[in-house]
Amino acid sequence: MAGLAEQNWRPVALQCVTNYSFLVGAAHPHEYIERALALHYQALAITDECSMAGVVRAYLAQRSTALQLLIGSYFRIPELGTVILLAQNRQGYAQLCRLITKARSRANKGEYQLYVSDLTTELAHCLALWRPAHERAFDDHWQTLQATFQQRLWLAYARHFAADDAQRFRSYQRYRAVSGLPVVAADEVLYPDPERQPLHDVLTAIRQNKTVADVRADLRPNAEHYLHSAAQLQRSYPQDWLSEAQVIAARCQFSLSELRYQYPAELVPKGHNATSYLRELAYAGAKQRFPQGLRSDVAAKLEKELQLIAELQYEYFFLTIHDIVRFAQQRGILYQGRGSAANSVVCYCLQITAVNPDQIDVLFERFLSKERDEPPDIDVDFEHQRREEVIQYIYQKYGRNRAALAATVIRYRLRSAFRDVGKALGFNEQELGHYLRQIDRRDHETPWYEQLLQLQSGMAATERGRWLITLTEQLLKFPRHLSQHVGGFVIAATELTDLVPIEQASMADRTVIQWDKDDLEALKLIKVDVLALGMLSALRKMLQLVAEHEQRPLDLASIPTEDARVYQMLQRGDSIGVFQIESRAQMNMLPRLRPATFYDLVVQIAIVRPGPIQGDMVHPYLRRRAGAEAVTYPSEEVRQVTERTLGVPIFQEQVIKLAMVAAGFSGGEADQLRRAMANWRSTGELQQFESKLINGMRQRGYSIDFAQRIYQQICGFGEYGFPESHSASFANLAYASAWFKYHYPAIFYCALLNSLPMGFYSADQLLQAAKREHVAVLPLDIQTSQWQHQLVRLQQGLAIRLGFCLVKGLVASAIEALLKQRPTAGFHSLSQLRAAGASPALLQRLAAAGALQQISGDRFQSQWQTLALPAQQLPLFAQLETQAAATANLPRPTEVQDIAADYRVLGASTRRHPLALLRERGLLRGVKRAAELSSCRHQQVVCVAGLVTCRQRPGTASGVTFITLEDETGMVNVVIWQATARSQRQPYLTAKLLKVHGTVEIHGDVIHVIAGRLVDGADLLAQLSLAAPRSRDFH
Amino acid sequence: MKQTKFWWFLALPQLLLDEQLSLQSLEQQQQPQIICANRGNRGPQVVQANAAAQAAGIQLGMPAVTASTLVPDVHQRPYEREREEAVLRRLAQWLYQDIAHIALYPPQGLLLEVQHLQRLYGGYQGVQRQLQRRLRRLAVQVELAAGYSPLAARILAQAGIACLSTDAQELQNALAQLPLRYSLLPVTQRQQLEDAGIERLGDLLRLAVSELGVRFGRDMVNYVAELRGELCPPQQYFQPPLKFRERLDLLTEATSWQQLVFPLRRLLQQLEAFLQSRQLSVNAFVLLAHHREGAPTRVRVAFALPLWRSRDVQQLVQLQLERQQLSTPALELSLHADDFTERQARTAQWCPTTAADAPSSQQTHALRSLFGKLQARLGEGALQQAQALTDWRPEAAQQWLPRTATQLAGPPAQLPRPLWLLTSAEPIDIAQWQLHWGPERIQSGWWDGQAIDRDYYIALDAQQRQGWVFRSQGAWYLHGWFS
Repeated sequence: MAGLAEQNWRPVALQCVTNYSFLVGAAHPHEYIERALALHYQALAITDECSMAGVVRAYLAQRSTALQLLIGSYFRIPELGTVILLAQNRQGYAQLCRLITKARSRANKGEYQLYVSDLTTELAHCLALWRPAHERAFDDHWQTLQATFQQRLWLAYARHFAADDAQRFRSYQRYRAVSGLPVVAADEVLYPDPERQPLHDVLTAIRQNKTVADVRADLRPNAEHYLHSAAQLQRSYPQDWLSEAQVIAARCQFSLSELRYQYPAELVPKGHNATSYLRELAYAGAKQRFPQGLRSDVAAKLEKELQLIAELQYEYFFLTIHDIVRFAQQRGILYQGRGSAANSVVCYCLQITAVNPDQIDVLFERFLSKERDEPPDIDVDFEHQRREEVIQYIYQKYGRNRAALAATVIRYRLRSAFRDVGKALGFNEQELGHYLRQIDRRDHETPWYEQLLQLQSGMAATERGRWLITLTEQLLKFPRHLSQHVGGFVIAATELTDLVPIEQASMADRTVIQWDKDDLEALKLIKVDVLALGMLSALRKMLQLVAEHEQRPLDLASIPTEDARVYQMLQRGDSIGVFQIESRAQMNMLPRLRPATFYDLVVQIAIVRPGPIQGDMVHPYLRRRAGAEAVTYPSEEVRQVTERTLGVPIFQEQVIKLAMVAAGFSGGEADQLRRAMANWRSTGELQQFESKLINGMRQRGYSIDFAQRIYQQICGFGEYGFPESHSASFANLAYASAWFKYHYPAIFYCALLNSLPMGFYSADQLLQAAKREHVAVLPLDIQTSQWQHQLVRLQQGLAIRLGFCLVKGLVASAIEALLKQRPTAGFHSLSQLRAAGASPALLQRLAAAGALQQISGDRFQSQWQTLALPAQQLPLFAQLETQAAATANLPRPTEVQDIAADYRVLGASTRRHPLALLRERGLLRGVKRAAELSSCRHQQVVCVAGLVTCRQRPGTASGVTFITLEDETGMVNVVIWQATARSQRQPYLTAKLLKVHGTVEIHGDVIHVIAGRLVDGADLLAQLSLAAPRSRDFH
Repeated sequence: MKQTKFWWFLALPQLLLDEQLSLQSLEQQQQPQIICANRGNRGPQVVQANAAAQAAGIQLGMPAVTASTLVPDVHQRPYEREREEAVLRRLAQWLYQDIAHIALYPPQGLLLEVQHLQRLYGGYQGVQRQLQRRLRRLAVQVELAAGYSPLAARILAQAGIACLSTDAQELQNALAQLPLRYSLLPVTQRQQLEDAGIERLGDLLRLAVSELGVRFGRDMVNYVAELRGELCPPQQYFQPPLKFRERLDLLTEATSWQQLVFPLRRLLQQLEAFLQSRQLSVNAFVLLAHHREGAPTRVRVAFALPLWRSRDVQQLVQLQLERQQLSTPALELSLHADDFTERQARTAQWCPTTAADAPSSQQTHALRSLFGKLQARLGEGALQQAQALTDWRPEAAQQWLPRTATQLAGPPAQLPRPLWLLTSAEPIDIAQWQLHWGPERIQSGWWDGQAIDRDYYIALDAQQRQGWVFRSQGAWYLHGWFS
């Protein structure tokens, strides 16, 4: 009889520790599932240490298999030993989540604290497996635990062939005799197979930040912590102890599929249900958005969307976002929604988005789909300087037990894995740095270790070197810790902790759940993305300034659309500061693509991306646009998908649609393809689609060339998937910022400068650009400047008065306190400033910034006088005027000295460009100005010089580096081929001022200089800074 | 100008790198090499670079990352201040042969008082020649400058102005030209001065001292006075490390060490006086028996514990000398000692640290003298101490260390381990054994190439002796005995 039971018996693993017990478990969750299936396990419990972070991954691997998955967690409690808790059902799971939350809330990030008393409450639906720390722990606590758990408590005996196996075996027999508690055989599983032991040892070393040799005391003696086969288990444990595990498995009936998201109910007022309320809001919004009434096709679309939302029960999702944006509206915080679900009439009517469907109705295709059955995706960007208000609103409205941020799992990448493994193996920092430098991560053809071995063949010769490679490869993609998602909130109807544990984020006042966005998506849970966008801050300031200084009240929606002059400016490549199209690559594309409509901007934003570039779609599109190539379509299906982009697929949506119509992908397959694109770099999942896609297209009569280009484009999208929906939202902001740049440049630059840091350019570069656009920039002045930059009306128009925020090392509150006391007529002396509370250090800083000109003379004089101010504030009567202390000995600063001091203290200058000075001194003879290049002949040999503002090596155009030089008239784009760069490394890599001899390439409005010889202009700069009249450098 | 006292300053801008280069072959020296240090929070920067690195475009102050991008195969090493200071002390010691008054300016400078040496070497040029002769043998990069005050000399040398003039005016002119970054003033003061347009030392010297005093306080006033040569702070001169050197004429030729016992006693008494006056103990010394011809016979005597009383020392030395032969008769005896310990600084590290385990002071003393005697009789290195290590591999679970270095570890983990572990496991025929307990599986040590994979058992042999046996790759071995 026993024999029969043994034959039918299939193993149950009760404690499997994954790598989501960071630096403890040595396996990905799915690896356990796969191994357990291969060994015909009946059930397997994923139990991480005080965590649920790994369960979703395990669930995804298990859900369509015959294996039963138990959900649990283990805890180390010093006076008890180890306790494993397993969820019996949905309530038990919630109890476990709450317990983890409680334990985590008591400790710092990444740690937890649990007491025996915690186990005696609210765990009525959990099973407990106990490994007493020692005999005394058992004797002291068994009665308490037994009273609490009653028939739900087991003693968990593990045999890993350690020296004390037999002794513990006897102890457990005694425990059972004393208490009557059942004993269950439960291996402590740390990895799926014994080959992982070295990795586990290395993790132990990394955890303690020591070498493996130094943590020998903490290593396990053998490799026995793997998933054993049934036969092995039967040799190790009595059969009745093994059978007890099946009893436990049978009593656990919980599956993660039971988790259902419930939306916060308070958003719906009395007398309404969610459906009716959303409908009411949408139609009320439609009246505002379409004052002339809805066009019939738009009305039909709206109705269809509302029906679909009701069918999929996503009303609350839209209502939640609507509530958040309404808060932002009330506070005057600019925002904009984007994402696939944002492309809807509903979102437009609810004021979540501002993209008018009249403008680009083609966009409103990909909304929600029934067959995709995925949660809707809407991201809302807010002004970066005020997003915190929105976050606090969410916390305050729903409470911290109902709202938390999603986690981001930080994983090992090559660099970190290599370093950590290397250090654990005793390599020193420098050796590891040296090895890492040999690896070119842009080279996707050759695996990193092959690159390394080609250059460092000695590595394979030593055992340690081989371990370094093997273990690094194993450690790659291991999760390392949880961080917070940039802005994805999860909001629950009741307690969020019933759904998932919450833990402390490293940022104060932030809490994160233990799941990341992929986990949420897998369980069809919904998050609301509350993101920060700098350009929105800048745009709000522009809108305020234009109302204040030009008496022109505007909002984003009322900015005049399709202004031809704005497009003409952009067509010239004049786009510094304009959202999304200000980079060097975008600037080069502008004169070629010549955007003339809003939709052109949508394309412009999406086309300078790896997808279209790798798919070689850029040039065909440009040629067709310029009329140099006929617009043709290989088929009617392709025409439908790509007509709006002249037959050339540009957007992610188009490519996916093509996979369906041209390669025969089903909706589900296309959706898998989309997911694979999102993370193919990390999983390599995409390759499986290659042959299916290409064969599918070949069968339907498309050329192999076209098919391969589509596949290449898909690979390119993988890195930075750029859908049309996002591009359209961004184009909206791009147009708005360009409109301001053209019509109100002073307002434009002032708002940008007050929103830094953001975008591509520094304050100095923006100021240089403003000056080139004839905006006067006034220096910092204690009598008129504020903390922020201000606009001042001069005769010739608005000018920018620099603010104190530019001065490095100043504190806003100190300046603002001082400025509050500024008399209308201004300060009259340093001692008055001192009396107003300005510390000597602050005054010295202001003097260095040249801001005291009006009070105490040039920056040298001012500095000399402030230095003489007493450190202690004197009583009033003792305030003697120290003005007289100015010495006659000090020279006046020269222009060069002033510029140098401006750059040192402000990082920018209102004075002349350094290149203008060099030119004036005759140090740049024969060097062309940036502005003169357009009148050169194509391929004329020239020399240009400028400050290096940007060095860029786009991954897609390998072998080429773009360097941007700035002189007093503008920017020069320099193209450097790899050979040039290699042979002239020093100036190429390090020059701050670069002189380039080369040839001009002129194609329409696109001008490049192809570099021949590079000269480091360090000596020119040196001459400038030491060109003060009374000195020369000493050698 | 009144009779001016002159100082020379020797700046060694890449002393640590020079030391590194001096240990390399000519070919290695041609490889680009840099030394990097963290300055501020901007990550490591290049602080020293050899000619090859500089030729490849690496500059001082460049981020280490840039340097290694520029020259991918550049050899990089972190800067170690202690090490550079030690090199500087060695250099001072070397120059001490010629120059009595040397002040250390660690880590990269030496101030030399050369006034007195003129006569000896026939003027400054003679001094310079002698100095250069010495330095050439060391192959270090130096910048040597003169100054009418230590500060002036130091600034000029560190700025790389190789000016050995004796004309104070010329030196001051050179100083006046230097930008403020060479001033050696604290960074904040320097910045404050620069912000007021004072860019060179000359600008500073032109200012009224009273105005500087109001703004920067007493230290600045002193600084300017030193810069002008009006003030010369006292210097702390280099003291060569302590040495005891005594030599004794033997009245008759001695043919054995035993005959030297009495002369030795005198030397040891002198040593005791030397030690007593400096509150030192001696760790080891060298006895030299000088012969009529040939090199002297050397005997090194080391003690387990530092000693200073001559009778303690004598006892141990006698023990040691009993084993020594004197091949040829000795005419003179000398004693060289330079390995000392300060008496207070010593701690009794050699004995168990917990109070409960600590033997009484009497026991301690007895142990101590036992160790001392054993070591004296058997020689240094013969006395070792076992130390338990936590390693699952039995072979790696202990190691022998020189007695002086060890500290007793805590008790090893409670594992069934035999009292007597065989040095190497012996193959056995398991049929002769009866397994009693086990297995304990030990799979460990993959990281140092000594991996083992064994199942250990306690087993009885035919004589009922308890052995520790294991199975590895199908074969059985005996590894130890429990009884």
